[in-house]
Amino acid sequence: MTSPALAEPLPSSVRKPGRVKSLMTTYRVPLSIIALCLLPWLLPSKALAVNVLIYGVVAVGYNLLFGYTGLLSFGHAAFVGAGAYITGIAIGQFGVPWYAAVLLGVLGGGLLAFAIGALSTRTRGIYFSMVTLALAQLVYYVALQASSWTGGENGLRGFTVNKINLLGYDINFLDPVNKYYVLMAFAALALWVVSRILNSPFGAAIEAIRENERRARTCGYNVERTKLLSFTLSGTICALGGTMSALHLAFVPLDSLHYHASGMIVMMTLLGGASSFFGPFVGALVFLVMEDVFSLWTSHWQIIVGSIFVLFVLFLPKGIWGTFLARFVR
Amino acid sequence: MDTELILMQLFSGVALGAILVLTALGLSIIFGMLGVVNFAHGALFMVGAYAGLWVASLTGSFWWGLLVAPVMIGLFGMLIEYFLIRPLYGRSIDDPLLLTFGLSYVLVEGVRIVFGTDGIPFPTPSALTGVLDLGVGFFPIYRIFVVGVVFVVVLLLWLGLEKTRFGLIVRAGARDPTMMRVLGVDISKVWLLVFGLGVGLASLGGVLSGPMRSVNPEMGSLVLAEAFVVTVIGGLGSLLGSIIAGLAVGIVISMTALFAPEMATIVMFALMALVLLIRPQGLFGKLA
Amino acid sequence: MNAPLLAVEDIGVRFGGFVALQGVTTAFHPGRVTSIIGPNGAGKSTLFNVLSGVLTPSSGSIRFKGQDLKGTRQHEFVHRGIARSYQITNIFPDLTVHENVRVAAQASRSRYNIWTNRNRFPELDARADSALEAVGLVAKRDEIAKYLAHGQQRALEIAIALISDPELLLLDEPTAGMGPEETKEMVALLEKLATERTILLVEHKMKMILGLSDRILVLHHGRLIADGSPRDIQTDPEVRRVYLGQNDGYA
Repeated sequence: MTSPALAEPLPSSVRKPGRVKSLMTTYRVPLSIIALCLLPWLLPSKALAVNVLIYGVVAVGYNLLFGYTGLLSFGHAAFVGAGAYITGIAIGQFGVPWYAAVLLGVLGGGLLAFAIGALSTRTRGIYFSMVTLALAQLVYYVALQASSWTGGENGLRGFTVNKINLLGYDINFLDPVNKYYVLMAFAALALWVVSRILNSPFGAAIEAIRENERRARTCGYNVERTKLLSFTLSGTICALGGTMSALHLAFVPLDSLHYHASGMIVMMTLLGGASSFFGPFVGALVFLVMEDVFSLWTSHWQIIVGSIFVLFVLFLPKGIWGTFLARFVR
Repeated sequence: MDTELILMQLFSGVALGAILVLTALGLSIIFGMLGVVNFAHGALFMVGAYAGLWVASLTGSFWWGLLVAPVMIGLFGMLIEYFLIRPLYGRSIDDPLLLTFGLSYVLVEGVRIVFGTDGIPFPTPSALTGVLDLGVGFFPIYRIFVVGVVFVVVLLLWLGLEKTRFGLIVRAGARDPTMMRVLGVDISKVWLLVFGLGVGLASLGGVLSGPMRSVNPEMGSLVLAEAFVVTVIGGLGSLLGSIIAGLAVGIVISMTALFAPEMATIVMFALMALVLLIRPQGLFGKLA
Repeated sequence: MNAPLLAVEDIGVRFGGFVALQGVTTAFHPGRVTSIIGPNGAGKSTLFNVLSGVLTPSSGSIRFKGQDLKGTRQHEFVHRGIARSYQITNIFPDLTVHENVRVAAQASRSRYNIWTNRNRFPELDARADSALEAVGLVAKRDEIAKYLAHGQQRALEIAIALISDPELLLLDEPTAGMGPEETKEMVALLEKLATERTILLVEHKMKMILGLSDRILVLHHGRLIADGSPRDIQTDPEVRRVYLGQNDGYA
């Protein structure tokens, strides 16, 4: 079977990615950071910008598992929530300094991700989504019951961070601009870490699993172990997002653990584009702006967002950023 | 411990389990035939409950609600399959899951718009109120009724699958849809009917559960999680698994509520985690 | 003196009531090309799946280089030295040809390395390129795999199997779907590979098999019914009976 004679040139995807695309990929971290630096000045409110940061980090972390490894988890809110609760409890109940609390939150969230990942990677295919949802919901109910630690239905309060001492300088954390840039440092770190992971041999391994799990296995990859590592890393980044949220709100709502919150993460990632590095950030931005705008018009904004999501699944599965890259960036 | 109390709680568990069985069966049938995990299943359960309430209030009779609502919502399910799920055929297996997830938002918010955000009580039909004295205790008649209805439905389902030509196609098609097409079976009609049937089962569960727990737009969330737990424990695609796991989970929740009510829901998930550790494919499932 | 590379003893595979393989006992020696033939449903793919760890036999044992392979997990087979290619092309469709082979090369080391840039492993690149050279695909190295012609995809399939430097190569119908020209190229490739490794082949094209193999095994209804040189097999009455009326492929 010989190649047919073609009337038009081969699609650009047949060849290696072109110059612009390559440059964007190589410099994706600095480019993203520049975009984030400009963000608060482009949006109507600083609070919105901070939310975009937080959920952008969560979505980028989630995408490591979803877009790059190909596993649809519906339970990642558990790790965001865990990071938030642990940070809040550490500061509020144990008087731990903020940076140590953040570290604890990230590690704790990562540990939870390892535990849930270990159970869910034992399942194949579509089971995985159901199991992650159910296991994360378990975390929700435990947090609901452990109200002396978590505040139960009312959420966790009492751990406001007013100022941050960084390298000898006192930064007023309550100032919105300061808050944004401090949290942006976290976001930059997260983006850098995710980028390195994606560029590494492990990054190639998860791509192989996404492309053809069976083949990856017979090439010698311990698929379950690789998935577990991806799951854990992804959950850890999400936990970092959670700690950021705790610092920002000085409050952790119980609902942040519900699978609806997990679903929101999925929606953001898909809206932006799961096949790209920065797509999830774009998705977080779009989702949060939509929420802001639509809730001005009606308290039933969820029906609009839900419908838009359904339309995206049907017609724009690459997401906004993903479609943009595919069409206009060579 | 009081025997009567234990027996009643056990029976309560069976009634709870019966609803779980209906929901899980619906989920399992849809997955078995279409390979789709219907994330809107819980929302459709809730819509079924509201539909039952609405028909009952229109006609003045619970019985009409019970009969008409599942059929109505089942037909609605067919529309969903035809217009929203079928276009995704051939794409990633995650796509229908994502779509139905988005759909659940639309359905829940839609119900909030039409019926309001607060819960609505679902009155027990007068013929079924009260308790029956069975010697060993007083058992609520309505729950006996629920168990009875589910038993009959499961029986009909089993007969339908095992004894009819359509059932044969459903069982065979689940294993090899391509082969079915080659043999000239119009698989798209089968998909339509099976999806409608699965949704109908969920909405029947919704109507039945109305008088047991009041009706509110959020009731579908927990139902979805419960259906997943039961399906994972029983084994996806296994109808016997859904039945046994559904009853088991119902009983476990009910008995736990007796000793430690706040742990009841947690125990359900813990049970699932245990099954995952020991037998990841579920009790009756097959390894992928 | 000549210890077998792979020895299988009384291998049986049952799927519920259906017996796919029964009492298969044989040994494979280093440096030979052995072909496995048989009518459809004879159990050839099942035997391959057992030998590459995809299936656990219901009975019997497999010894590779003297070691019992029982309990060895599927992904470990390639680390032991047994690699396989598939009948239906099973590559990584959206990766480039080079990436396809390199990710396979990576599986033996640095697969959990989450920090170093993957382009910093020149010896992996070199190994990938030499595997591509061996199958004649170096020119296509930067093309996305799913856009390759069928024959080239089959060659890539083999390159992926080759990259782990296996002692035993299991090739499941490498010429599947190929026309006469491409089949000739594949045969040349296989002859070259045969000088370096032990090859086990499942194929249908009799002329190709007769020319290439040192030894032929014939399976029928899950049993080994004949085992010998091409000459022996051609004159074996049992084999002739089984194959009467069968399509001989490119005779």
